Amino acid sequence: MRSRAPARLWTWRVVMLEVVRLAAMLLATVLLQSTVAPHIRILGARPDLPLLAVICVGLLRGPEIGAIYGFLSGALAAVAMFGPPGVDSLVLVIIGYVAGRYGETIDTSSAWAPLSAACGGTLVAKVISASAQYLLDRTVPVGFFIGRAVLPALVLNTLLIAPAYLAARFWLREGGERARPA
Amino acid sequence: MVALVILSLALFTVFFREPASGVLHGVQDVGARILAPLQSGSAKAIQPFRDAWNWVGDLFGAKSENKRLRAEVVRLRRAVASELTTRSENEHLRQLLDLRDDPVFNDASDMIPARVISGSTEVWYSTVTINAGSADGVQLFDPVINEEGLVGRVTDVTANAAQVTLVTDQESFVDAVVQPGGVRGVVAGSVRGDVNLLYVDKTAKVEPGQFVVTSGRNGSIFPRGILVGIVENVGRQDVELHQTVALRPAVDFRKLEYVMVVKR
Repeated sequence: MRSRAPARLWTWRVVMLEVVRLAAMLLATVLLQSTVAPHIRILGARPDLPLLAVICVGLLRGPEIGAIYGFLSGALAAVAMFGPPGVDSLVLVIIGYVAGRYGETIDTSSAWAPLSAACGGTLVAKVISASAQYLLDRTVPVGFFIGRAVLPALVLNTLLIAPAYLAARFWLREGGERARPA
Repeated sequence: MVALVILSLALFTVFFREPASGVLHGVQDVGARILAPLQSGSAKAIQPFRDAWNWVGDLFGAKSENKRLRAEVVRLRRAVASELTTRSENEHLRQLLDLRDDPVFNDASDMIPARVISGSTEVWYSTVTINAGSADGVQLFDPVINEEGLVGRVTDVTANAAQVTLVTDQESFVDAVVQPGGVRGVVAGSVRGDVNLLYVDKTAKVEPGQFVVTSGRNGSIFPRGILVGIVENVGRQDVELHQTVALRPAVDFRKLEYVMVVKR
């Protein structure tokens, strides 16, 4: 009993630390997205920080945590920006889960992993998002959607994923599976 | 993952089906109350950087902007001179005919000052969030202006924050008139961020440089006389029933910082 107690305590501490770090990251990305991102326009697109964060968490922490983080990120973004709840959550749950599954199949320490995940994630996010908005009667001409929404976002997210991934890896260091006692 | 997808779809569906007093709206209201002060703080913290960014941006366009503004000053001086002449004539004729005074929007209107604390980043929406809510007297569909002209209308309110849908939003429609001339139309935003005056009579004469102001008619939520934009381009096509008038919005939405909510 005595030998088990410290191990359980350690695991609990790691889990709590992980939850606090992910919660802080979630709040920071949503706040930055709602207050800073609207004023930044690079290559015709605005940064999508929650999407990049979900891709990073999915790659670093796996599909389950990626999906949960994506859901919460979408819900918080909807509250912060008065959006309809569920739309962003749906998009980010799928992105988080797929990024996590993708991370399991490749070496996440290689530069290719976050770049390809950002490209694919942006494409998938934009298509799902456009479909959901279509249901809400918010239509966009296809040419405009591809030329002014998808392509610029694709380029910008691919450029931003490198610093975002490094920052996320630094912030989430010593957590997750790697730090847990064997 | 499947459970979360179903939950997302359920949230999405319930939110649109429930009334404004429903559970999800309540949760969103509480969340917005908690987040609004944080967003307000964050907006204040980034203000110096934003000012620096805008300053650099303004520097590049300063020369052409100066030229455009000089031309506009000349045009406005002529317009003011013309207006002063017609105003006294108008007042005199009104007295003669005993016409009821139709109120025009002015600075003495009851207004609530607010600061823009966040904005949408998706192409589908042109909205901003302000740090004034129902506790300050803001109500749904209240018009929102700034010193330049019409900003939009309030489309969602919580206790300490409100969502403002900008005139550039694709679901924004404002009954308006072109001045001088009184040609009527509806100012509509679009997903591209363009603002157009629609349903303008094909025979009506509209020229670039004319002002487009709110009409205040047909039970419009906007008081009469708020500047919406300036005519930039007029498109007439034989096959169209109406002419389409492209506007330059009076408000520079990139630099939107402080607004006034007009109490109705």
